[in-house]
Amino acid sequence: MKQRIRTSVLIICVLLAAIPLFAGGSQEKSEKTTLTYMETMTSPGRTATIQGIIDAYEALNPEIEINLISPPYEQADNKLTLMLNSNQDLDIIEVRDHTLKQFVNNGKLEDLTDYIASWDEGDDLLPLTVTAAKTVDDTPYLIPQFFFVKALFVRTDILAQYGFTEMPTTMEEMYEMAIAVTEKAPNQYGFGFRGKGSAFKVSDPMILSDVATIDLENVYRTTDGTFSMSTPEAKAALDAYVDLYNRAVPADGVNWGFNEQVNAFISGTTPFLIQDPDTVALVNEQLGEENYTVIPLPVGKSGKSFLDYGFAGLSIPSYSKNKDAAWDFISFIANAENNADFCRTYGPLPIHASTYANDDYFSSGVYKSWEQEMSDPDTYKFVKYPLDSPKYPGWAQVQEQYMQSLLLGDITSEEAIAAWESYWE
Amino acid sequence: MEDKTYRWFLVPALILLVLCIYVPVLRGLVMAFQNYNMFDLTNIHFIGLENFSAVIRDVHISFGQILANTLVWVTASLLFQFVLGFILALAMKEPFRGRGIYSGFVFYAWALSGFAIGLTWAWLFNGQFGLINDLLVRIGLLESPIGFLSSKSLAMIAVLIPNIWYGVPFFGIMLLAALQSVPAELYEAATIDGAGRVRQLFSVTIPYVRPTIISTVLLRTMWIINFPDIIYAMTSGGPVNRTNILATQMINKIFKEYDYGQGAAIGVIIMVLLFVYAIFYLRVTGRQEEEF
Amino acid sequence: MRKHHIHPVRVILLILFFVSAIMPLYWILLTSFKGPKEIYTFPLQYVPRTFTLESYRKLFSFTSFGRYFINSLVLAFSASLGAMVVSVAAGFSLSRYNRKREKHGILLALYFTQTIPTFILMVPLFTFFSKIGLVDRLWSLGTVYIATVVAFSTIMSKSFFDRIPVSLEEAAKIDGCSLGQSLIRVILPVTLPGMAALFSFAFINIWNELFLAVMLLLSNENMTVPVALNSFISKAGISWDVMSAGIVMALLPTMVVFGVGQKYIVAGLTEGGVKG
Repeated sequence: MKQRIRTSVLIICVLLAAIPLFAGGSQEKSEKTTLTYMETMTSPGRTATIQGIIDAYEALNPEIEINLISPPYEQADNKLTLMLNSNQDLDIIEVRDHTLKQFVNNGKLEDLTDYIASWDEGDDLLPLTVTAAKTVDDTPYLIPQFFFVKALFVRTDILAQYGFTEMPTTMEEMYEMAIAVTEKAPNQYGFGFRGKGSAFKVSDPMILSDVATIDLENVYRTTDGTFSMSTPEAKAALDAYVDLYNRAVPADGVNWGFNEQVNAFISGTTPFLIQDPDTVALVNEQLGEENYTVIPLPVGKSGKSFLDYGFAGLSIPSYSKNKDAAWDFISFIANAENNADFCRTYGPLPIHASTYANDDYFSSGVYKSWEQEMSDPDTYKFVKYPLDSPKYPGWAQVQEQYMQSLLLGDITSEEAIAAWESYWE
Repeated sequence: MEDKTYRWFLVPALILLVLCIYVPVLRGLVMAFQNYNMFDLTNIHFIGLENFSAVIRDVHISFGQILANTLVWVTASLLFQFVLGFILALAMKEPFRGRGIYSGFVFYAWALSGFAIGLTWAWLFNGQFGLINDLLVRIGLLESPIGFLSSKSLAMIAVLIPNIWYGVPFFGIMLLAALQSVPAELYEAATIDGAGRVRQLFSVTIPYVRPTIISTVLLRTMWIINFPDIIYAMTSGGPVNRTNILATQMINKIFKEYDYGQGAAIGVIIMVLLFVYAIFYLRVTGRQEEEF
Repeated sequence: MRKHHIHPVRVILLILFFVSAIMPLYWILLTSFKGPKEIYTFPLQYVPRTFTLESYRKLFSFTSFGRYFINSLVLAFSASLGAMVVSVAAGFSLSRYNRKREKHGILLALYFTQTIPTFILMVPLFTFFSKIGLVDRLWSLGTVYIATVVAFSTIMSKSFFDRIPVSLEEAAKIDGCSLGQSLIRVILPVTLPGMAALFSFAFINIWNELFLAVMLLLSNENMTVPVALNSFISKAGISWDVMSAGIVMALLPTMVVFGVGQKYIVAGLTEGGVKG
């Protein structure tokens, strides 16, 4: 009897160990080539759009099957990192501006130069698209799919209540208006502040737009090589920014991430919001198109506005076994027509010059502001964050800590700037 | 003799634990001593204790502050979860009509996922459109809304409240069950001795349920220290690091900085702290002798 | 049983606990019945101006929430069942173990697993599973889940068996039962409520698990409920309409477990409880 129990326990163990084998065998073999496509900047609406494009592609190419993987936005980049580094089956991946460098470092991305050269739509790409594609090592490791460029969302209905009908064109004017409307009514504040979660992407372009000598290759450097925040102009702008927080933002703003920022705008608490174009869909749904507008980012005292262009694009893992098929799909989803459709439902800016020329949508309505930003290079300067520095990933937390200290009055602006400078040394 | 056969029953559990917990955790421990940074994986090698010193001596993000926060987080969470859970259990001990449904409503918090709790409470605590401020202003306790989550002194309290709210059901259920196992004769005897309600609580109830208290408190401590979800969703450790605990800093290192080596080092620190705590705790409570 | 007069202090306490427990749920429930344009209106609305099921419709039509719900249900149910079987066997074994030092060591090893942060396991587990081709399978995630709850469940089930006198088994043996028979016919019935408690605890933990599911599952059709809820957070913001409806839906099974099962859970724990 003892024997029997021992035997049955053994059998259970063997079964446990054998399950993998059964499961491994259940994968169906078929004639089709299966491509695995992983997106990272996920949202339910966007996934549906991509799936629609995949369905259209599969209808045209019956021998190809595409598996879409859509992890939640907050974990997606990490998951992709893990998958790439263990050479998981992946053929098409969505790589972001800040993950590009590490994937290239680890030798995980295919050089797309030849593919792009042979692409009939390659010549139609915006100059910005080509620049972004070649961010690392001057080699196109990805085809950008869209751009995020900041612009100013304005609640025209609320400003009108307080008699403002002119839109601000300079940061100073915007600060003044934001301060002027604050506390005109209960819970009325001026500016949709960003206090946490990569807050530097909002604060630093606002502050540094007062500095005329920014090095466009690295926003934290001036053309003579000093830390850009250490300039007297930046220090004054930082003080003005703190003043804006004190006079036009609820105390809670220190803890506002993208979600609170957008909520404050939609609820009318703050009539100004600096955000990317993918916010348009959400704002339209929860607020309504008629209640707001979008204008180009106001210029700083330098007479210019520094815009960073966030982007994500499609790459092929260097170990993929279906590179040609993967490229064929990429050239389909990234062609002018599909890219325009994709951007229309998702929100950000498309990558082809012809789209802006032929499609009214991206040059009218709220998109007019982005068109203006894209077409006036003297005023709107595209700048880069030091994405290829190993210190960049830790910057958000360090910047945020000292900025919060400064906003809450613990340290002076000189101290904050000194601490930031010491981080980048 | 019988004993040998019984031992086989342990095998499936041990196999699972070794394969899915012990082997991976060993690999994880090794990472803590390597320069395992996703930014460049082409040159992974052992670097001794560098990850630990990088975390502990970080000039920008104070490790001392993080440790102090962790201590406050664990102690306050545990204390209030336990005391409130005990009170809830005492209140629910005698049956009443609808107790089943009632417990469904007071215990459901346990069944929520951490990030959902964090997001919900971040909204409730919001200074402008949060329910809590709104209620406090309506009742007249506050003149104008407070930015709970942006205040250096209040933020820790604001993240503790949802964690306490979440943990009360665990102690409530565990202690409710333990209380019901106290034989009625003990209370009768105590009543005859003239003991009042409060004295009965301390002389009969607590000693009887002591073993349950000791092991649940130990387990709960381990769970609380390893539970970054609520803080992460509410403040991500801010403002100015005031709610940053070891577990949230570990997420920062792994998810934001892709530095798995330093992240693992923080994990090792957590495990060592818990290990020391457990030994100390078991010695003080005297449970060691009776196999805890 | 004599009729209980509930002490007024108890009534007040019960009400206070109820109100504070229910407040966040009320807010989520309220949000889930609001239209998308009402979610962020100011001043706050405590009663929806319009009552709509639009969020729920969107949840089920726009996302495959029904599918994720079933995935989670199957996964949590079978993994909890598996964890229960494995840990009842292990708990029984430990309870009847007569070598003090070994027993001590095993218990220590069980407690030790509770100190491990999930994130330290994540990378090695993923690498290990991907090497042997086991990612993106619900059952392999289920196996990991069993491993994550088995330590706690074993500690619990050991204490149930500690309460059952060995004499019960001996009596059964005298009646001519084999060891297996005595386990099934005599001992298990006594511990059934305890097993209900084990099952419920495992179910709740597994039902809510997010990070391992995010890492070990790939394809969209394998998503679980926590992963789906997390995916309503995007770069542009949180879709609170579907999020609130999803949270409400995700609560239903566990509310049922507590509401219906609390009698058995508490009875089961009363038999043993965590005593180590």
